[in-house]
Amino acid sequence: MAMRDYAADKEGFKNFFINFCQTDDEGRKIFKYSEQLSKVAHREQISFVVELDDLHDMNEELAEAVMKNTRRYTNMVSDVVYDMIPDFKHKEVAAKDTLDVYIEHRIMLEARNHRIPGEMRDPRNRYPAELIRRFEVYFKDLSTSKSVPIRDVKAEHIGKLVTVRGIVTRCTDVKPLLVVATYSCSACGAETYQPVRALQFTPPPACTADECRLNKTAGQLHLQTRGSRFQKFQELKIQEHSDQVPVGHIPRQLSVYCRGDTTRRAQPGDHVAITGVFLPLLNSGFRQMVQGLLSDTYLEAHGVTCLNQSDEGEMAEPLTEEELAELAEDDLYSRMARSLAPEIYGHEDVKKALLLLLVGGVDKRPNGMKIRGNINICLMGDPGVAKSQLLNYIDRLAPRSQYTTGRGSSGVGLTAAVLKDPFTGEMMLEGGALVLADQGVCCIDEFDKMAENDRTAIHEVMEQQTISIAKAGIMTCLNARVSILAAANPAYGRYNPKRTIEQNIQLPAALLSRFDLLWLIQDKPNREKDLELAKHIAYVHQHSMQPPGQTRALPMKLVRRYLGLTHRKHPTVPRSLTEYIVSSYVELRREARNARDVTFTSARNLLAILRLSTALARLRLSDVVEKEDVSEAIRLVEMSKQSLQHVDENVQRGISATDRIFAVVRELAGTSNTVKIADVIERCVDKGFKPDQVDACIEEYENLNVWQVNQVRTKITFM
Amino acid sequence: MHDFSNDFDSVTPDIWMLNEAAWNERLTQLPNWQKIPLINSNASHNLPDGSLVRFRGMVQDMHNPEFFFEQFEVFNTVTNEIKNKSGKYTDTAHILENEKINYTENLKSAQRQTIVVVSMPGLNDWVQNIEDEHNHLKHLNQLPNTSKRLNLNNLKLKRTRDESDEDPDSMDVENVGGGIKEQRTAEVVNNASKVVSREHLLNFPLPDVPSKSCIVKVYDDNDNIKINDMIEVVGFLSVDPALSGEFQVEKDPLLEPTCETEAEIITHNPPPSLVPRLHAVYIKKLEHCNPLVKGDIDQEVILKEAKTAREHLLKALKELLLGDELAAEYLICHLIACVYLRQDTFTLGQFCLNISNLPTKKYPNYAKQLYEIIKQFVTKSYYLPLTVDNMNTMALLPKKDYECNRLTSGILQLSKHTHLVLDETNLEQGQLHATGVGNITALGNLIKLQKVEYDFKYYKMEFDSDINVLVLSEGKSLLPNDYHIPLRPEKDSLEIFDAIVEAATYYLKEEIMNTIRTYLTNLKLAKYSISENLQFVEDDFIEMRSNSDSDSPVTADDLHRLLVLARLVSLSRGYDTLTRECWDHTKKMEEERLQRLKNRVAPTL
Repeated sequence: MAMRDYAADKEGFKNFFINFCQTDDEGRKIFKYSEQLSKVAHREQISFVVELDDLHDMNEELAEAVMKNTRRYTNMVSDVVYDMIPDFKHKEVAAKDTLDVYIEHRIMLEARNHRIPGEMRDPRNRYPAELIRRFEVYFKDLSTSKSVPIRDVKAEHIGKLVTVRGIVTRCTDVKPLLVVATYSCSACGAETYQPVRALQFTPPPACTADECRLNKTAGQLHLQTRGSRFQKFQELKIQEHSDQVPVGHIPRQLSVYCRGDTTRRAQPGDHVAITGVFLPLLNSGFRQMVQGLLSDTYLEAHGVTCLNQSDEGEMAEPLTEEELAELAEDDLYSRMARSLAPEIYGHEDVKKALLLLLVGGVDKRPNGMKIRGNINICLMGDPGVAKSQLLNYIDRLAPRSQYTTGRGSSGVGLTAAVLKDPFTGEMMLEGGALVLADQGVCCIDEFDKMAENDRTAIHEVMEQQTISIAKAGIMTCLNARVSILAAANPAYGRYNPKRTIEQNIQLPAALLSRFDLLWLIQDKPNREKDLELAKHIAYVHQHSMQPPGQTRALPMKLVRRYLGLTHRKHPTVPRSLTEYIVSSYVELRREARNARDVTFTSARNLLAILRLSTALARLRLSDVVEKEDVSEAIRLVEMSKQSLQHVDENVQRGISATDRIFAVVRELAGTSNTVKIADVIERCVDKGFKPDQVDACIEEYENLNVWQVNQVRTKITFM
Repeated sequence: MHDFSNDFDSVTPDIWMLNEAAWNERLTQLPNWQKIPLINSNASHNLPDGSLVRFRGMVQDMHNPEFFFEQFEVFNTVTNEIKNKSGKYTDTAHILENEKINYTENLKSAQRQTIVVVSMPGLNDWVQNIEDEHNHLKHLNQLPNTSKRLNLNNLKLKRTRDESDEDPDSMDVENVGGGIKEQRTAEVVNNASKVVSREHLLNFPLPDVPSKSCIVKVYDDNDNIKINDMIEVVGFLSVDPALSGEFQVEKDPLLEPTCETEAEIITHNPPPSLVPRLHAVYIKKLEHCNPLVKGDIDQEVILKEAKTAREHLLKALKELLLGDELAAEYLICHLIACVYLRQDTFTLGQFCLNISNLPTKKYPNYAKQLYEIIKQFVTKSYYLPLTVDNMNTMALLPKKDYECNRLTSGILQLSKHTHLVLDETNLEQGQLHATGVGNITALGNLIKLQKVEYDFKYYKMEFDSDINVLVLSEGKSLLPNDYHIPLRPEKDSLEIFDAIVEAATYYLKEEIMNTIRTYLTNLKLAKYSISENLQFVEDDFIEMRSNSDSDSPVTADDLHRLLVLARLVSLSRGYDTLTRECWDHTKKMEEERLQRLKNRVAPTL
């Protein structure tokens, strides 16, 4: 490779700094670097940042050269800036610290001593550049360049500009690091300067000034702290994110040296993106003798940025080609739904609903009104139908989520608690699960066993998406913009289709109606489905893989990233669809009136349909809701209703059971006319009947007027 | 052939590098592999620095990669000679006093991985004894090899110091493991300001167990080696005492700010006599660590021999389980189980067995006694008494220690096919602290998902595991389990348990033991397939579903469980495919077990 023409590069930088300009919104030209230069010249700014984006626009080749050999170009730019500064200095600068005064003195002294006519000499020359330069040059990486995983920062990156992401695991105190050591000689008084480029240095043994050298006095040198230049220095250790680590490996770490302005940017635990030059560090002294064959490496930081949780890591980066190809396959909606908890077989509609919950509808705020976009879902069902598994999966998948049980494990509970600080005695608010899950999903298992005060608070959360607290003199309103995914067990162990939902779940209708979808998951023996399930499981065991007929489940990471994408869309419902929606709603209402409806069809259903359809549009990454979205939303609402109305076929077989139960009741009653229902149920359960069969029997004979049941349904009286 | 091994005795890194490919080739074809000294069985101080050795163990931690000089120039200031040297396969530059490394030119640096390998956690004595028999090289003890070491003066100095204040504990630890092993002068870190215990440096997952560890430098850059893998490393030994972190010079913190704390330096540079360095030339992943199973496994032979071995095992276990044949069958299945399918959140093959209703009233030590026998069968096992105190104090989960910058091991950091026996019989009422709750959750997750969560402080990472968990308890265990079987002891056996143990020990002669040991390892590795036609399974499932009552419904999980059990039942009998017969037997076993669960009465024993 031919040597680069560094002189030309220097010229290139000079031109770039002078000529580069951007036009701002108002059409004015801004000379970005000229402005920076004058600021640096007037000591108003210390760091001089060169954005490679800008350089790339002007001089593509130079920008690439900089990225490959950043250390060298940092020094070069320092020189260039140093040369240019006098031209940009328009006014006298007031000395800011002792070192300014010191340097000024020295320059004046030098200028006076060497007033040889005709000699054009820069009075600054006698002093090391590092001492007089009061600015720092940093490069900012191209915005298009991708961050390199810490694992992949290898020998080939040495000397190059790289951007890495990670978590800060350790940082040292900020310490002064000697940049130029200034010594004064005890014999002749001359000053000796020693630029320090490494982390350690050896002081010169004797004075080298002309006077001492000629007189051979070898004067002692003393370090002048005030005349030396120090720089802030901090060392960070960053560690890979958990998602960058290959399976079965331990996260790697990287040392980062921060100087000057890049110090104090991050603290342990922060997610950071660091741009810097990857450099080797030679061991010296004793270590060199022992481990002379090793070199430590570090990243010389040029820029440290803290990332906040939302745009950190995987979300920020666009999808790769492969991922896009994987997503482009047909019927993304069903595939993604199936990818939720793939180990749970079937329940496709439930999974679809959960997918929409993760996507969420769009919040609307017309004229101060607030209509939530978050979708709330309640799963009900007999014990052991994988409700908790679904909740767990959603909790793990959602980027921001809280998993809790209705009982709540901490004293804070679901909403918030006012706590007294044990040290200061001040009252503090501590957020509960709902507050912590703000803008995320809150999975609440055993929703039916919720504490009374939480239950009242949750009404507000589910519609207004806030939590108002008025406790111990603290009145406040906390945001709780959450989607609630609840799971509830039926009140008497098993779901009884003869009863209404409120009776089954023992939750007030006001609360239940706030759920956009209520889903009853039942696991009933069904020949065809069982065969399918058996075949599926057998296949897994036979071939040690999921059956090929099904579409492969998408990896969790991809689903998560895609969901991140969907959140950027804010689809609207076009006016043309209004009529269709309205007529569908009217139809729903009419059906509900006619059929024996156990659910509530109210205006809230209309909102639910709108929310679901906007979520569907979002899932397609579209800006407009289409008719198909609405019909799919209506279908889901229908399906959820159907799941609740599903009549237990087994009851049909119970006709003979009813007769037998009747006999049991007869026997139990004996001579007396009244029987306690509790006794009946106990006896019948012992005999192997199910409580709902007993209920059916009681109801049936009540209708036949064989017996009467009292108002509270505790006693049977024979007629 | 003899020459070959002689070559390997005397090969040095420099010779090796002259023709790396050829040496590697010869190494893989080496017939007498065990002639290369195994550090597990031979104390490392008997081996000269720079010789080729082997080490077998589990990958415990991975450090950051190191940059080393693959090639560098050495300049002799006296003779003005310039020599090219290589830093590969060595830690120290072998340079003379008047030589200097030229850091500015002709320097080629490369990267190598550093992994920490510890001897197999939970390796049982019988395995170690057999290994020692095979691999202990007597001639090494007689060699006056200390002279071969690099830094003679330094070493002598250390010896004298050690003689004055030796740590008695460390000597004991050495003796327990091998027995044959020669006593080894342990170096104790006794610098007043930097006291670090031996256990801290060895960082072994299991407490109170003797162990060895090595720092292995890996040169080929692939991602194949994973944490907790069992590996055998062939590499050049590096035991230069100067590598120890305690010899670091004092640094001026102001002039040389650095992130590495003293603790980190000492932990990462332990005395090489305690933790030798190995520069790997060849790494073999091990599927098992049973010395009785050699070479490739022959499926047919395994299956043929399975029947007899099973009979022996069943006989012994039946007696030990007080005449309960069903429990014995389940225990056999448990012993040969391993995870064979893993997909995202779904694992197949784990077989956590809970044997309850142990006669603890009569024999308080029953669980421990049972373990002592199981220990004789399996290669790796660990007995963990589940007490409130243990749960509150023990570190089950590995945790990243940022102070020392390493992964501090926990009990659950075990290599695959390790048997973990949890004894719940000593559990008493008490308060669990936060650690205790965390530990119980960790055990639960291990059992249910076969995953262990490592704590990296800023985030947690799950690592797959394959640990067979056996829970012994009085009532139903508080931990989740896949198969729970209450023991049903026979009255007669109950009376004479001590005699049974004695008889069993007598019955299980070395020969029979070895058959059983081979059997258990082989079956874990054996292949198993299910024929296409599974009509009977499907039909049975549908029937079970329709017959099940709604209080204890038959779900998909039950079918998974049945199929896993059927696999083990078939394999244990020496069939590598699912037959109708085995399926029916499996169903019968499960039915019988569920029946027992239904009619469970409070433990009376």
